[in-house]
Order: sequence, then C-alpha cells, then structure tokens
Amino acid sequence: MLKSKTIKTITSKKIKLVTLVLLLANSILFAQGNHLKIEINPFFKTKVLKKDSWYVSKNNDSLQFSKIKFYLTDFKILTKEGKTKQLPNSDFLVSIFNVESRSILLENISYKTGDQLLFNIGVNEKMNTSGALSGSLDPANGMYWSWQSGYINFKIEGKSPSCSTRKNKFQFHIGGYKKPFAATRFKSVTITNAINNVLIIDFDIAILFDSIDISNLNQVMIPGKEAIEIADILPNLFSLNE
Amino acid sequence: MSFIIGIFICLGFVLVKNEEVFFEYPEYWPKPVYNFSKLSMTEEEFQLGRHLFYDPLLSRDHTISCASCHLQATGFTHVDHDLSHGIEGRIGTRNSISIMNLAWNTSFMWDGGVNHIEVQSLAPISSENEMDTSLAIIVEKLNKSEKYNSLFQKAYQDSLVTGQKILLALTQFVVMLNSYNSKYDKYIRNELGGKFTEQEKIGLKIFRNNCASCHKEPLFSSNDFKNNGLNVDSTLNDFGRMMVTKKPEDSLKFKVPTLRNIQFTQPFMHDGRFETLQEVINHYTSEVQHSPTLANELQEQIILTHKEKVDLLVFLRTLTDQKFLYNKRFSYPRETQTN
Repeated sequence: MLKSKTIKTITSKKIKLVTLVLLLANSILFAQGNHLKIEINPFFKTKVLKKDSWYVSKNNDSLQFSKIKFYLTDFKILTKEGKTKQLPNSDFLVSIFNVESRSILLENISYKTGDQLLFNIGVNEKMNTSGALSGSLDPANGMYWSWQSGYINFKIEGKSPSCSTRKNKFQFHIGGYKKPFAATRFKSVTITNAINNVLIIDFDIAILFDSIDISNLNQVMIPGKEAIEIADILPNLFSLNE
Repeated sequence: MSFIIGIFICLGFVLVKNEEVFFEYPEYWPKPVYNFSKLSMTEEEFQLGRHLFYDPLLSRDHTISCASCHLQATGFTHVDHDLSHGIEGRIGTRNSISIMNLAWNTSFMWDGGVNHIEVQSLAPISSENEMDTSLAIIVEKLNKSEKYNSLFQKAYQDSLVTGQKILLALTQFVVMLNSYNSKYDKYIRNELGGKFTEQEKIGLKIFRNNCASCHKEPLFSSNDFKNNGLNVDSTLNDFGRMMVTKKPEDSLKFKVPTLRNIQFTQPFMHDGRFETLQEVINHYTSEVQHSPTLANELQEQIILTHKEKVDLLVFLRTLTDQKFLYNKRFSYPRETQTN
C-alpha cells in the first residue's frame, strides 16, 4: 500500500519532468506562445535601407528615400486546423526610418508552429468610414486625406534623377477603400520559427522600384487605377526571414 | 485630519460629473443618420467644440476660424462671397455651405467627398485656400495652450489634446446646430406663430409641386447629388461629384443643399453665382442647361407665372428660424469662466 503510493508519486514526478523537458524543447524548437513580436527589417535588395542613402534599382534608377510609412492592421491567426482568431485593436502605423515603430507587439494571442499570421497592408473599409478614430488611426498622424475621406495606406516619398518632377521628387500616397479602387491588400505568413516569440519580417522596397517605371509613374496622390497598380505589388515587399 | 479632507477635496474634483446635453428634434422627423456613440454628449465637450469653432488658432496664421465662413446670423454660411476666402485672402473654388441639421447628412461638402461628420473639419483645416494647416499642428498648438488644456481636461478628464478629441469636440458643437423652429415648422405643428397667410399656403403648394422632389421636407434637402442645369463656369471647371467618384455619370452633380434659412444664406449654388432668390427661381424656370447628366426632375421645364414666383419666394421666407439664427448657445463664446 505504502509502496505503491511512493511509486505513484515518483511516476507523477517523472511525468512532470518529461512534460517540462518537452515544453522546453517545444519553446526552443517550435514557436508557441501568448504574445508575438514582429520586427520589420528594411532592405533595398541585400543592403540595409537607410534614410537619404542612394540605391540603384534593376531599371537603373538611382533612388533616395525620405519617408516610408504604412499601416499594418487587422492581425489574425489562422490555425492549421482552419480556425481564425482575430486580434482586436491590432492597428499599427509603421514608419520605416523610426526603429521603435518597426517593432510590433501582438499581445494575448496563442499560436503554434505552422499557424498562419494574417494581416492587412492598409486600413479596411469599415475603419475608413467610422469617423474620427484614435491612436495609430488618429487623423493627426498625417495618414488621412481631408478633401476626400479615407486613410493613406502607404506613403513612399523620396527622389530620383529619373523623375523629371520638381526637385526630382517621387511621392506615392496609396489608399482608397471604395471599389473598384480599394487599395488595401492582404498578407499572410506561416509562423515557422518564431524564436523567443519574435517573428522577423524583411521589407524590401527594391521589389516595388524594380517593377515600376518611375520616369512615368512618380506622383500618385489619389485613389484610382495607378494606386491599385502599386497596391498590388505591396504584399510582395514583405517576406518572412527564416 | 487635514490630509483626509485633502483627499476628499481631490476626490470631489475627480468625481465632478459632466452635464449631459440632449440631442432634440421633432418627433415626426426621420431618425438622424449620425451615430452619436463617440461623443460624450456633455456640456463640457459642447463648449470645447464651440471654442474651437470660433478660434482662429485653427488656421496657419491665426486669422481664420470656422466661423469666418460660417456665420451664425446667416445660417452658418459666408454671406456676400460667391467663393469663400481663407487666410491671406486666398479664394477657394466653392461657396461655403450652410451648417445645420448635419446629423441627417450621409456625406459632406458640395461633392460629398467627406464621408463622415467627424472628419469633415479636416477639409477646411488642410485646404491651402482656407486654413492651410494640419490637424497635427493644431494638436501641437493646443497642447501648449493653458486655456485648452483646461477645456480638454473638463471635457475628457484628460488635458492631453489629440486629433480625435479635437474632431469629436467640433462635431459635438456642430451637430447641435439644429433648425426646426421656423414659421413653416410651427405651421406643420399647428403651433402659435405658425399661421400661414393665404399667399404662404399657395407658395407651399407651388413648392411641393415643383421643388420638393429634391428639397425634401422636413429637412428641405436630400442626400442626393444632382446636376441642376447650371452651365460650367470656365474659370473654375468644377465638375463636382465626378471629381470624387471618377464616374462620368456624376459629372456636374452637386449636393442638394437645404433650403432652411435660405432668406439669409446668399449667394446661392456651389459657386455662389446667384445673389438673389429671384435669380435662382429664374434659373429653374427658364435657364436650365440640358446635358447628359441633368436631373430627371428638371427634364421638363418648370413654368411659373410672375405671381407664382412671388408666392414661392414668400413661402421660402417661412423657412427662416430666428430662434436658431440668434440662439446665444451657438454664438461666439464669451469668456464666462477664468481658468
């Protein structure tokens, strides 16, 4: 009687130990947690993207960037089993040349390796028609059009000798929520290896400038066909760093 | 002991309850379109909005306030200017529109480019021909102002100024600018002061037969956009709603404005081309230009005799709401409290 009790105790201790080891291994080998930090690393091809430095695109355009700002919103987890878990109030304004804003903390989310992280590049229609919002969506952040209501999803500004504009400037203010010119785009990445709950996403601006002719397309400030052309490329700029 | 009293005094301040304001309108009116959920509906928020509405600090060089182009005594519009002007005398491209009964509007501006009352004020704030500044700059200015820190504290229990709070406070003020006490309203409600003369009754009948399909009672507007047959002013080339929607079928369409208080809201039309109501009526009876997008309601000529035109004009004056135009709650905020 007494013996068996002792054995039982040992067994349960063993199980606990095994679980602990498994859990540890799990957190090292497989991501699983209740928060997720996303870090966005900006590049121009293989070079780290810096403000006001010069880069050359595939089209031989020399380029300098002064501002890159965009909204990442509506984060969701899609589990391997096909369940969607929405993260409320997950709206972030990222400014590429501001280190702090490139780090996004998603709290109170559960996920495991193989799940997908879904989000919008830009602001959805509902938020575009909900009046004055706060925080990252406050119109005082300079990402809102005034003469025609709606958020600017993506702002890219800089200069290039290829642009025959005033001071060789290019300005892309990409937005619009009404069909057929809705410019918000969807992105999903599979969570493979979020060590310490950190997911690193590379942002390569060269992908956009390799695929447009900036001598012709260099000023997009309103919703429309040209904004759509650029919006369609934007999801390709983001990729998971594995 | 004094420490405990101190705590109570502190608590007393924290627990000050803001005075509620109520949005009132005649029960037979349609339900407002605006959802008031973001507003605190307090006297403090209303007063903050009122101060902002009358404050030239909202313009780049501190010379123009909302009230510069939206004067209460003229139905909150800019009288005597065909096109409204902003800072440094810069002239815009449109006639400022009157502000009243905004909770029933589904869109704002002559072209409907603004989709929500809470973000409407961003348009004049950032237009270079109007206030030529930005919400961010106003946030910065207000955060440095003791007066506004105190007003924001009272309204929101937090002195920090944000863009959203500015926009909501302005909304809280303008959404209360409601006009429903004209002679016409009293006539409809069978109230004292609402006895129509024979001429006014005939005028109302003429109005209902010829104008009310677009200028719908009881708001005397509709949320539609119409081409009302004005020829294009080649100095402006303003194609209205098409510039927002990019649809050719919206060419030359503009918002159907309210006719309430029209006795005082001259000049008329989106570009203020008519100075008198006689000119407006003459336009609709004999000058309508036919084009592919012309409103259905104007396809057939409106024929009115001289006497009928006069009767119609007499009726339009019954839409004047003195109580609204001279309501002290809506006027320039006198400094009643010292902060």
